[in-house]
Amino acid sequence: MFNVAVIGAGMMGSLHAGHYDALPDSRVAAVLDVRPDAARVLAEVYSATAYGDIEEMLADGSIDIVSITTPTPYHKECVLKAAAAGKHVFCEKPIATTLEDGLEMTDACRRAGVVFMVGHVLRYFPEYASAKRLIEDGAVGKVGMVRTSRGGSFPQSAGDWYADKVKSGGVTMDTLIHDFDWLRWSLGEVVRVYGKGLLERAAEHKDYALITLRFASGAVAHVEGTWMRPDGFKTSLEIAGSKGLIAFNNEDSAPIKLAFAGSDGAGVEAVPQSPLSAEDDPYRLELADFLTAIKSGGESPISGEDAVEALKISLAALESITTGQPVEIRR
Amino acid sequence: MIRVGMMSFAHMHAGGYAACLGKLPQVELVGVADENETRGRAAAEANNTDYYDSYDNLLKQNLDGVVICSENSRHLEMTGMAAAAGADILCEKPISTNAADARKMIDICRSAKVRLQTAFPCRFSPAVAQVREVVRGGRLGEVVAVKATNHGRMPGGWFVEPQFSGGGAIIDHTVHVADLLRWYTGAEAVEVYAESGTMFNDMKAEDAGLLTISYDNGMFATLDTSWSRPKSFPTWGDVYMEFVGTGGVVSVDAFVQHLDLYSDENMTYGWSGWGSNIDMGLIRDWVDCLSSDREPSITGEDGLRALEVALAAYRSVGSGKPEPV
Repeated sequence: MFNVAVIGAGMMGSLHAGHYDALPDSRVAAVLDVRPDAARVLAEVYSATAYGDIEEMLADGSIDIVSITTPTPYHKECVLKAAAAGKHVFCEKPIATTLEDGLEMTDACRRAGVVFMVGHVLRYFPEYASAKRLIEDGAVGKVGMVRTSRGGSFPQSAGDWYADKVKSGGVTMDTLIHDFDWLRWSLGEVVRVYGKGLLERAAEHKDYALITLRFASGAVAHVEGTWMRPDGFKTSLEIAGSKGLIAFNNEDSAPIKLAFAGSDGAGVEAVPQSPLSAEDDPYRLELADFLTAIKSGGESPISGEDAVEALKISLAALESITTGQPVEIRR
Repeated sequence: MIRVGMMSFAHMHAGGYAACLGKLPQVELVGVADENETRGRAAAEANNTDYYDSYDNLLKQNLDGVVICSENSRHLEMTGMAAAAGADILCEKPISTNAADARKMIDICRSAKVRLQTAFPCRFSPAVAQVREVVRGGRLGEVVAVKATNHGRMPGGWFVEPQFSGGGAIIDHTVHVADLLRWYTGAEAVEVYAESGTMFNDMKAEDAGLLTISYDNGMFATLDTSWSRPKSFPTWGDVYMEFVGTGGVVSVDAFVQHLDLYSDENMTYGWSGWGSNIDMGLIRDWVDCLSSDREPSITGEDGLRALEVALAAYRSVGSGKPEPV
């Protein structure tokens, strides 16, 4: 049984805690948050210990795993300290805000001999995992033009940290890094990036970006990220190849659509639902894979190096948005 | 009666335009001229009109207007003949394969005092026109970005021979949306970045294009021009635009009014469209122009502005950098 410490008791922290609690090999032993109330409330759910100080928590020798779901700027400190304390580390995406930080975190975990996994959870979403399998099976021939889209309204967060585009990197860093990682995982390395976005525009609580990626394979991807959609969270995917085309959007494939009569007689629509059985939940699968890697002494399912490569694409996109020029990715 | 002639059926849209002309009681479709006799005779017969084996002979018939649906590279030559005969012109898009020819066409028509219209039928889609009012009405706030596609299937024939078409998917599928974005917003394109490739077919012309267009009002747009629809796709392609504003999002998918048709006859699934015929809107408007003194609703300059976006895209593909329009 692994004892897990969750750092960051926000939405993602609560989500992770629920899955660690449900998985047979792990339990939530500690919750840390700089907001004492938030730490206490989440800790109480799992009869775990609430902490406000990371050194104090890491001194607890019974803790095996540290799972980090803080805002991105705090990832580095948490990962470095957890690795130094010999804990296995799960860190939400993006790994960091700079390549140097991401590499330093990766190196620290390797030197400490702990498993380090970064939460590019899209790889565990069944629609994206299935699309990758179809590509590999040759269902569409050689992949040519790919289109992805992701986003909804501006994300709510403690301290409104997403509004600081320097800290969060805006939609291009925080949201599109999901698609960048999935695209790189499915299509190989990216060689050139061009993008337009609202990064530098004075648009409070709004961000939008359209990014073009050129892959070493010759394929091209159009990646849309939005925090300006008032009508709910939407994702879509289209992969056009020499022998066929794969298309997906979350609205059309949602099996449950709801509408209720409002008090004034007007209809009220609710968000469409697309449930999966508990064992197919992408976050459950992701964390189960993490625990398996620890148990078996195997490689991290999504390594720090992978996360740094995804970060490179986000940073190149942000650089292109800023400079107005295409950015070559070197490695 | 408005006397109209058809110059060449090389472009497949000619059939649609001729059918619309035939439905208007005030129009007399005088004839079809085409150097390809088989094609020309078939078109004349299908539209209950006469076949002319020379453009000159057709143009001697005291025409009010002509519809030019030749290969793109011959638009200048056709325009010169029609202008000399004093006929107003409806010219298929793109206006030409290059900007110099397009400017000559505009100048020739101005000198000859004939009116030159570019055929951009998408302006006559009721959905496209309605969303223009939404975008211009202000509820969207400031439009900061547009995500657009004009997908299609690889058309084959002279469309993939650059000496006739001017290129491939980029020149074929940039101009419709480039025109609509100008028409919607009044903004002019100032810079284009493009990636392209031949990804789906074994041929010389590009069948994939992805443009990022910057506008003089700060707006940016992407446009996927790819002939990326496989043969098994249920419809030919799309014209789709999504406008992202500070006050909301509005999208228009111009050709989705359809029935799903599943047929065991040959084990196919396809769309059977039931939307309004946009060619009819274009032709009705052009015939109205011919019977009045007004300027065409879509000018040669409009055609040139849209072409310039495609040409900048080709320069960007060549240089690997954003290129001024």
